[in-house]
Amino acid sequence: MSILEIKDLHVSIEGKNILKGVNLTMKTGEIHAIMGPNGTGKSTLSEAIMGHPAYKVTQGEVLLNGENILNLPVDERARAGLFLAMQYPAEIPGVTNAEFIRGAINARRPEDDAISVRNFLKQLDETMSVLDMTEEMAERYLNEGFSGGEKKRNEILQLMMIKPKFAILDEIDSGLDIDALKVVSRGVNKMRGPEFGSLIITHYQRLLNYIVPDVVHVMMGGRIVKQGGPELAKRLEDEGYAGIRDELGLDIKLVDEDA
Amino acid sequence: MTVEFESYPEIKDYAKSVAEPKWFTEMRIKALEAQPMLKLPNFEKIRYQRWPIQLKRVLKKHFSDSKLLAELNIEETKHLIVQLGQDTVRATGLSELEEQGVIICDWQTALEQHSDLVKKYFMQKAVKYNEDLLTAQHVANLTSGLFVYIPKNTVVKEPLTTYFVQDATAKTDYVHHVIIVAERNSEFSYLENLTTIGSEETTANIIVEVIAEADSHVKFASVDRLGANTTTYLNRRGHLEDNAKIDWSMGMMNDGNIVGDFDSDLVGNGSHSEVKVVAISTGKQVQGIDTRVTNMGRHTIGHILQHGVILSRSTLTFNGIGHIIKGAKGSDAQQESRVLMLSTKAKGDANPILLIDDNDVTAGHAASVGRVNQEQLYYLMSRGLPKKIAERLVIRGFLGPVLAAIPSKAIEEQLRVTIERKLVDGQKDE
Repeated sequence: MSILEIKDLHVSIEGKNILKGVNLTMKTGEIHAIMGPNGTGKSTLSEAIMGHPAYKVTQGEVLLNGENILNLPVDERARAGLFLAMQYPAEIPGVTNAEFIRGAINARRPEDDAISVRNFLKQLDETMSVLDMTEEMAERYLNEGFSGGEKKRNEILQLMMIKPKFAILDEIDSGLDIDALKVVSRGVNKMRGPEFGSLIITHYQRLLNYIVPDVVHVMMGGRIVKQGGPELAKRLEDEGYAGIRDELGLDIKLVDEDA
Repeated sequence: MTVEFESYPEIKDYAKSVAEPKWFTEMRIKALEAQPMLKLPNFEKIRYQRWPIQLKRVLKKHFSDSKLLAELNIEETKHLIVQLGQDTVRATGLSELEEQGVIICDWQTALEQHSDLVKKYFMQKAVKYNEDLLTAQHVANLTSGLFVYIPKNTVVKEPLTTYFVQDATAKTDYVHHVIIVAERNSEFSYLENLTTIGSEETTANIIVEVIAEADSHVKFASVDRLGANTTTYLNRRGHLEDNAKIDWSMGMMNDGNIVGDFDSDLVGNGSHSEVKVVAISTGKQVQGIDTRVTNMGRHTIGHILQHGVILSRSTLTFNGIGHIIKGAKGSDAQQESRVLMLSTKAKGDANPILLIDDNDVTAGHAASVGRVNQEQLYYLMSRGLPKKIAERLVIRGFLGPVLAAIPSKAIEEQLRVTIERKLVDGQKDE
């Protein structure tokens, strides 16, 4: 079992404070969801955990099995077991999807113990069929010219092939129709098990019908303001974020709220 | 004109030792005597004039130790020439070509056995001996080379591969000349590997002339890997007659300072030149690449596509010159030069230069100098790839469009391997 702890995390971007003391602990075997209104810092949290250079941690710690990972570069965090399924994955021309994923797997293995091509292709084929991806997707250049839905599937494909300890899924549901949403959820559910934990960031409760979380966190104004079980997500769907805010007496303006 | 041999005892002695024909020695002396009037050529934004690029050593025969080749990895091909310094050490698979009437021989043999043919083409059509100081020094000091002659209507099916190995284990200059004559309606494909053994500070002056006669098609590819202490002037020039075509594919993977001057003169109507260059600069080196296509005939096509990558403190300059002469109606000049910088200390430049003297033509250019996209690097690294591998993948994507446009898959593959190796070496200085 592994454990990911976020302690009093403060993060700023371009001098603006976004996260103002986030606390969250999760273990492998658990699925956590973070819900919150637009502009509340959900994506900032995911990028800060992964180590995007534009996000500056001004206070706090992120511990993976007790070790602070905040001074590690991105690639070392990834090899330590973190994965971020991105909202806007970069396009890399000239590098095929298959060779990229194989390179990512081999980056985690000793140099003299690379995965055999045959073994790799077998796993790739199986995983792609779980995600209803056509074979030609393996030979296309990484994300280049992919539709929004194809990019999301491709993120989950990488997740399933790399098998991290903890995966953060940043709005993996945005822009997906209901069929694609089911496919993506199927992939994540297949990963569920004692050696895998996931932090799912979403606006909408809908995704959580397919990937049922163990814990739901509500984030507002750069902090986690409430925790609960799956029923909390349903309540948010009914009442909106304003209901929780008013219940907790928070002085936070919601971005989409009229003045 | 009479030439006074006696005033130049070194040339006289050398000429005697290699038994070169009198016309050739006369040309050396003419080139030598022309030098005081000549200047170094000027290439936009390439400041090489203070480099030790001029040939100053005495003309003499140098013998290389063929054991040196042991450290070189030479790939066996059907038609193969290997030269070390001034000597030819291997020539295999040429007899069947000779039966077709094809001539492939080293410089000394060419002067000895095909003197009239060499005289007809050497510095006559493509490059002139008195064009500038470097071409004149070239003629006066020339000591090695290759002569290729493809008779009319002859198709050479398999490419000729050459390895020209500069011997820098001794302080000798490398002055090398290649002539490729493709007669009317012939086809020829050629891969040149330029490389260095040894690390003495030396100067290389290399000129390649490709004379593509009417309706001929030449595919010229090169992988250039000259050493870190070799300062080089490398001039490759095509002379294209009616409906001739040259496909140039060049990989500038040298480690030392170099000026590359790659020109195509589209003299004949309907002639066509495609120039592809990939370049990688590493360490502290400077590579200046001046690629020119001149449309002279009507309906000629000149396309330049060059992409380069700069690491560490090195410099890479691409000039792309498209020159359409008045009267070259219906001609097309297009160019794209792109430079990617990996370090903040690298210097890069991409200069598009279009000179259009006729109205009824099409021309275009694209040029850019940029840094590695940080989002791409972040994405790749977020999957666990170390930074240097991630950088190499981004570079591969950047060079991909040029490599994919190279007509031969084998050469594309060889370039990929060479690029990877040069990048891995170059990243060690980062």
